[in-house]
Amino acid sequence: MASDPSSILPTASVAPAPSPKAESSRDNGRPARQPRPPKPNYKHIYRFPLPLSVHPLPPLIPHNPLSIVSVILSYMTFFISSPSHEVYSAYFDSNTSSVHVTDEKAVRALWEMGFFGKGNLSRSEPSWLEREKKRRGLLGGNTSEDLTSARRSERRGLKLERARTERKIIEERLKAEAAARANGAVPLDSSSPSLPPSENGATGNTTPSTEKFSLRKARQGKSLGSQHSEGQDQGYNASDSVSETKMINGGKTVRFSPVVQEKEFVSESTTLHLPDPSLNENDAGEEPSLKNEEHLQLSNEEAFFLVYGLGALQIFDDKRSTVIPAPSLFSLLRQHSYFPPRESPTALELDDPFIISYAVYHHFRSLGWIVRSGVKFGVDYLLYNRGPVFSHAEFAVVVIPSYDNPYWSETEERRDRSARKQARSWWWLHCVNRVQAQVKKSLVVCYVEVPPPLSDAQANAEHDVGALLAQYRVREISLRRWVPNRTRD
Amino acid sequence: MADADEAAIHSSSTPSTQEDTDLDDETQDFRILNNLTFARILTGTSLSDPSNASLPRRGEKDFEPNPTLHQADILSASRNAMHNALAHPRLHFPKARIIAVYSPDGPTPPPAPKNPEPSSQETGSETPARGPKKGTGIVIHPDACAYVINPKGQHFKSLGQADSWGRVWLLPEEALYLLERGTLDIRWPCSMTGEDGEGPSELPMSLQAAYTCFIGRDGLTVERFSVFSGLRRLGYVVSRAPGWYDSEEEVTGAVQARQWPSINGLFGKFWDWFYSSNSTATGPVAGLGIHRSYNDIFRKLAIIPWYDPVTPKPPQRTTPPFRVVYHIYKPSTTFKKTAPPPPDFRVAVINAQTQPTIPTLSQLGALLESTPLDPPRGEKMSRLLYMRLRHGYRNVVLAIVDHGVVSYLRMGDAAFGKERIYDKGGLNGPKKGGHLHPKGNGR
Repeated sequence: MASDPSSILPTASVAPAPSPKAESSRDNGRPARQPRPPKPNYKHIYRFPLPLSVHPLPPLIPHNPLSIVSVILSYMTFFISSPSHEVYSAYFDSNTSSVHVTDEKAVRALWEMGFFGKGNLSRSEPSWLEREKKRRGLLGGNTSEDLTSARRSERRGLKLERARTERKIIEERLKAEAAARANGAVPLDSSSPSLPPSENGATGNTTPSTEKFSLRKARQGKSLGSQHSEGQDQGYNASDSVSETKMINGGKTVRFSPVVQEKEFVSESTTLHLPDPSLNENDAGEEPSLKNEEHLQLSNEEAFFLVYGLGALQIFDDKRSTVIPAPSLFSLLRQHSYFPPRESPTALELDDPFIISYAVYHHFRSLGWIVRSGVKFGVDYLLYNRGPVFSHAEFAVVVIPSYDNPYWSETEERRDRSARKQARSWWWLHCVNRVQAQVKKSLVVCYVEVPPPLSDAQANAEHDVGALLAQYRVREISLRRWVPNRTRD
Repeated sequence: MADADEAAIHSSSTPSTQEDTDLDDETQDFRILNNLTFARILTGTSLSDPSNASLPRRGEKDFEPNPTLHQADILSASRNAMHNALAHPRLHFPKARIIAVYSPDGPTPPPAPKNPEPSSQETGSETPARGPKKGTGIVIHPDACAYVINPKGQHFKSLGQADSWGRVWLLPEEALYLLERGTLDIRWPCSMTGEDGEGPSELPMSLQAAYTCFIGRDGLTVERFSVFSGLRRLGYVVSRAPGWYDSEEEVTGAVQARQWPSINGLFGKFWDWFYSSNSTATGPVAGLGIHRSYNDIFRKLAIIPWYDPVTPKPPQRTTPPFRVVYHIYKPSTTFKKTAPPPPDFRVAVINAQTQPTIPTLSQLGALLESTPLDPPRGEKMSRLLYMRLRHGYRNVVLAIVDHGVVSYLRMGDAAFGKERIYDKGGLNGPKKGGHLHPKGNGR
């Protein structure tokens, strides 16, 4: 019996000891972050590249008769009961010239299999319901919109802190200068050009080290401050320690205006506080009747690709009574690519914006890219390798029609028209290119060759969408800034 | 846009993404000029004095005026430094003085009576036509308009052409470049100054006179000269390409061997016929039946024709200004004047004022067609899909000069159609694409 407590005691006293040590060591390394909730299994959720189901045949092994049997069997089963082909439905709203999907199941399917469409109340993936539930305290976890806004507000705080520090530095310097003047010391005559160059020459060394404050440093400083939990002014502390490292780097530092940043912060922070708790509690009462107010909006190219390319979607007209067949949908969308939409289908032209952009969309989709709108970055499309949840888009595509066929330069009028339609200025190109470089994407200029009008024989088959599309040819030119300084060796 | 803004901030804080910020784009801080003491240059001691060898440090940037004297001091110091630098007299160093003679009529043989040993040359001076030939068969460029009598120094490794009398003939842009950097002293010929005798006179050509004489001569525009001198200053070797003259046609692109109409094409046609039989008219293109695999679906979807840069095509006429004007060699490439290697880059020079729009597809296509096929090769390229696409099958550099500001754009014939990414199994994970740099926050 006497040995029992002695055997227990040491273990009990030892056991709790390591844990604080482990914690402290973790604290030293990095600012402690709350553990992230496990990521959903994207590989599984988004395993289908298209909203179509495939039924692969069992492998056929010639010397194994059983495999032949299994192949025949699978054919038989398909013959007897062919698997049903899922067709989702959407409707075309002619007032807004857009295609909407409201069926919950279709929304999920179109998003998860090929990343089609965009939630009209979300950034891309329709997540309004989830966010709303979370806001009312029904769900845990974070949506991507929440993460973004949290990141932004943190950044805003850091910027404010930086601005405050900078203003403090300026004030102190002013005070010091005023004191120097009062003391009757030699007034610093700033305008005199007689200052010997050797004195102002070594800029960084002689001037009192001007503390600079970058966001990263602010964050470091913050974590530093929280670690030591000193009652001092954190920002000042951090900037002191960091200004030395800056000296070594010798890199560019940028000082932001203290006033503007603060204003921005104030105005946005008030909007952030909008969902106030009292409202929340009111809502909690009637929460069971939470309805999904969000629908999926397909771009016209996406909608037509789903209908015409894959046959995975049917689109109803305004009255939601009849399904629009693909050829009429084609001319309808072409009419609606103008504003205001053209009334008659005869007023269509070979360089309708829709036909040009659809040719590019279909081309990249058929190569396996996930194509999404690039309006955020000032381009026409963004190309994702497997989808936005897996990686960032690498390519940004700009579409330009091209009128190289001799038909388009036959008459003066046609020449003017085509010159007007394909002209882009260098300024525009530089603008687009610089924006893409800033967001780390490669710019691709995609030219679409516009064919001459069809001959009469071909015109008879006007409803042959495929024949028409086959007349357009795309050519991609990748474009990037060439910096001679960087390619020297 | 908030995302882009954040991405920018993000990138400026990570050192690995610094490559996208261009030092030339920043506002200059002239105070670094003070670190170079001009007196030392005058006395002739080298700048790379080890005791004082430190790279000038960049200054800091304020975005707003504030009332501190400190800021005002920095500003005035910077201004003084700039004035100092500008006021400094630009002199020729007497030690390495190279004298050239302007020859307004192009390459001419030396005057007969002064030729020291005319008998040793079989051609002699009895062929006074334009572009006299050396015994070895080297033709002096007919546009050359100044010759150097005592060629020495680094520059003549990659500049000028020597004739059989030991004189080095310079093209207008070369002469102007050397004169402007203070290496060359160009003299007016006696025939123009009215002095007696032949050959160089005592009258040096001023910089203004040099600009007047050389710019506009034989297709040398200001735009072309600023591209030439800019690249030259960075250490590149720049030489004229056949496309320099508006009249001449380049023939480099047409050398490719003719191929069969390509089995691929025939097969493709059969394939098209087989698949597109009727499903493309009204859709769905993918077909209504049972799909066996996604690759089949993607293959059926490929109904939009695309341009294949590899198939041979008849050479097209390039239209100025969209034609290769300069061949450029990196400083690391060993360059021999007599046998220049294939260039590292090909540059077309465009004046953004006279040609305000970007090229049309036919202009750009002809320009790319005039460059040789340069498919993405190498171990890294075959591994990295994105790099392959960025590199392209042909490439050319456009130098767009807008009021003296040169911006270079590299155009590549990407041919996305050659990369079927559905085939390569998108299951390898997102890393396969070769992210050269960490991405910003833009999705």
